[in-house]
Amino acid sequence: MTTEMGNTRRNPKPYWNPYLAGVLLGLVLLASFVILGAGLGASGGIARIGASLSMCVAASHTLGSEYFGKWGAKPLNYYLVFMFVGTFVGALFSALLANRARIQVERGAAASVPHRLAYALAGGVIIGFASRLAQGCTSGQGLSGGALLLTGSLVFLVCLFASGYATAWFVRRQWHD
Amino acid sequence: MINTLYSLDALGSSRALFLALLVGFGFGFALERAGFSSSRRLAGVFYFTDMAVVKVMFSALITAMLGLSYMVGFGWMRLDQVFLMPTIYGAQIVGGLLFGVGFVMGAWCPGTAAAGLAAGRIDAFVFLAGTIGGSVLFNELFPVIRSLYTAGDRGTQMIYATVGMSRNGFTLAFTLAAVAAFWLSEWAEKARTGRGPYLGSPFLKAFSLALVVLAGGLFVLSPATAGASAKSAGAATVTATDETVLMEKVEQALDHIEPEELANRLMAGEPNLVVVDVRPAAEFNAFHIRGALNVPLAQLAAALQPYQNRGPIVLYSNGMTHPAQARDSLQRQGFGNVYMLTDGLQGFRDRCLTPVSLRPEPLTTVDAARVNAWRAFFAMPTASAKVGVATAPVSAAMPRVVETDWLAARLGTPGLKVIDLRPQPEYNTAHIPGSLSLNVESFRGNIGGVPSMLLPPPMLAAQFSLMGLQPLDTIVVVSGDKLYDTTLAGMAFERLGHMDYVVMNGGYAKWAQEGRAANAALPAVVESGYPARRDADDFTVDFRTVAAQLGKPGTVIIDVRPADFYTGKKSDEARAGHIPGALNRPFSEDVITSPDKAVTFKPIDALAAAYSQMIPSKDTEVIVHCRTGHQASQTVFVLKRLLGYSSVRWYDAGWTEWAARPELAIANETQDLTGRK
Repeated sequence: MTTEMGNTRRNPKPYWNPYLAGVLLGLVLLASFVILGAGLGASGGIARIGASLSMCVAASHTLGSEYFGKWGAKPLNYYLVFMFVGTFVGALFSALLANRARIQVERGAAASVPHRLAYALAGGVIIGFASRLAQGCTSGQGLSGGALLLTGSLVFLVCLFASGYATAWFVRRQWHD
Repeated sequence: MINTLYSLDALGSSRALFLALLVGFGFGFALERAGFSSSRRLAGVFYFTDMAVVKVMFSALITAMLGLSYMVGFGWMRLDQVFLMPTIYGAQIVGGLLFGVGFVMGAWCPGTAAAGLAAGRIDAFVFLAGTIGGSVLFNELFPVIRSLYTAGDRGTQMIYATVGMSRNGFTLAFTLAAVAAFWLSEWAEKARTGRGPYLGSPFLKAFSLALVVLAGGLFVLSPATAGASAKSAGAATVTATDETVLMEKVEQALDHIEPEELANRLMAGEPNLVVVDVRPAAEFNAFHIRGALNVPLAQLAAALQPYQNRGPIVLYSNGMTHPAQARDSLQRQGFGNVYMLTDGLQGFRDRCLTPVSLRPEPLTTVDAARVNAWRAFFAMPTASAKVGVATAPVSAAMPRVVETDWLAARLGTPGLKVIDLRPQPEYNTAHIPGSLSLNVESFRGNIGGVPSMLLPPPMLAAQFSLMGLQPLDTIVVVSGDKLYDTTLAGMAFERLGHMDYVVMNGGYAKWAQEGRAANAALPAVVESGYPARRDADDFTVDFRTVAAQLGKPGTVIIDVRPADFYTGKKSDEARAGHIPGALNRPFSEDVITSPDKAVTFKPIDALAAAYSQMIPSKDTEVIVHCRTGHQASQTVFVLKRLLGYSSVRWYDAGWTEWAARPELAIANETQDLTGRK
């Protein structure tokens, strides 16, 4: 039993053909459009978790604030929060099925853990801020809005890739082997 | 036809939350299958080592885009049943640029980080903690960056319209671009890593071909479905060429009417202008342009027959597609007077009905006044059927007067504030849960020697702040046995430009009588900083204005005091009688009091009939007064907010001041000047 586990751990199954995985993702998105009438989203759920933590720390300040305040006293009671939880569970299911779940810090062999985590944290803060500003992230604006052919979403996507490529060289070390 | 939860306004229901969880499950599963639980794989796109992001994302995007186009093409659903995010250039450009930096640094995005966390990636956990922090940071900085958040707001914009292409043309071009990106990605990966399993593979060729064929298929599908709908209206089949000609006309704006122009012409009461909403009844009932007819596409030609080749017929839906098809079909049947509303209902809302305070750019005083006039005119419910088509009950469209069940269904909604105007002991005993108690007299005071005047904006704003009201709140005012308390509060809201308030018909008495929820708890209130706008009150006038109107034809002065006070038979003021030429319409005639003291407005039809006897047209100058301004506020509300009179002003100081100024002329029973009756 132990050896079997060890074997499977060493041999995670390969990822799907990216195009077919993309088609599946597209069908999930289509289902979201048809059933919910709204696309996929992730940053909205995260922001509401942020609002709820902010409520725990300073309830009256949060309720009185202009942005979080309009989400009321129970910001978690929102479909995107549930979608975010679903995303985690769905990915967990897939990762376990393919023996891909493993505790690790993903980084280049030559990069240190703190180095990678510092970048992850900084990137997270920027993205948390940027996706509130743009009213969505890669899922909500890029993918969903793009599939709806919304001008602003496609402008967002173009800007995202443009600045990503412009910045990539400066932060490449975290992936050096 | 499928109804999405969004179109049913049910995204907050527990069923929607459960379905969102399921959709999320599929989302997470697909992301993980694609290998998006690996930050290294995600970052690879920026170094051309692993182009999975491009392959997966654009495969998904194109799949969903084509799927949706086919769903719409087959008539299974409509695009406006999906939440279409607004285009806000400033926010989305800056947001996109920042996001790119964050993406390449963190090597995660919010959705993939959830997948990464599930696959045990500690960096995903740290990233998510950062994202939460970034969201909180955004909230804290919001007052500073508010202008950026709305900078360049264009409402709902479709890319094909922005770049001047047809939807199908753009869809095909986009699909071709995605296929090209797939091949370039494979080529780049091969050049960089030596691996490129899909480059030139039969799979990629077949996949590319399938996408392009599906995109091309839309050209075949759309004319067919357009023909089908035209046939049902009894017309010939629409061909692709007509569609092209039509789109060209659309681009050149030959057959358009701009929202601002429509708004002005409607407000001016242009007699032969017919506005037609072609959306489904449920959406029409939720909101429509005031005075619009709701006609299903299939019945359009028959329903509009009486208006053929007379005044302009303006069609609208949420977007362009439906009215364009409808207009084409009408033209074939000999209608030469059909126009489309530029940018549809969304454009109308964005361009005419967005409050001045929410607009990205400051407006000139003239423009601001224009917007306020539009908002006042169009934000009003009216029964609007000319064609024998079923229409909404009066209070269904963006109501000014709401019923108890409307409030019951919305209690606890963020941004909804209920204000109870009953005497404090009654409030203390039991009230609508969460409601705030207010003595409406606290909004009034002595100004310049005249008692009981509505306080100036800073003092009202200070009180709003203490009650925790915010400019974007929807305020529901609930009265005891004096419905005119709610409208006096309404005058205070309007003085600060807070137009989003509604009156609950029947007051607390009706609520209690229906056995609805009540408690005695005081609500938790967070003090706000309500801005003291000074430019919103363009409706209060003083005695000079009234005196200047005396004897001028065209201005109607309405005295809403009880008849005995009007005639001078009774008096509790310096002089007995009324302003010369003023008509008497006691405020109490506009309401009905039930035996258990629930006061409701009379039906709109009855009110409309009564006032049409007194006031020649909807844009006649009207000045309303009573003794102190309190009762008059109710008549002002009825005229402006329920009946749509556009030029109604409020003489707050009223008979108290007029009677006490001996230089001002009065009339009474002995020397009456009869007005129009």
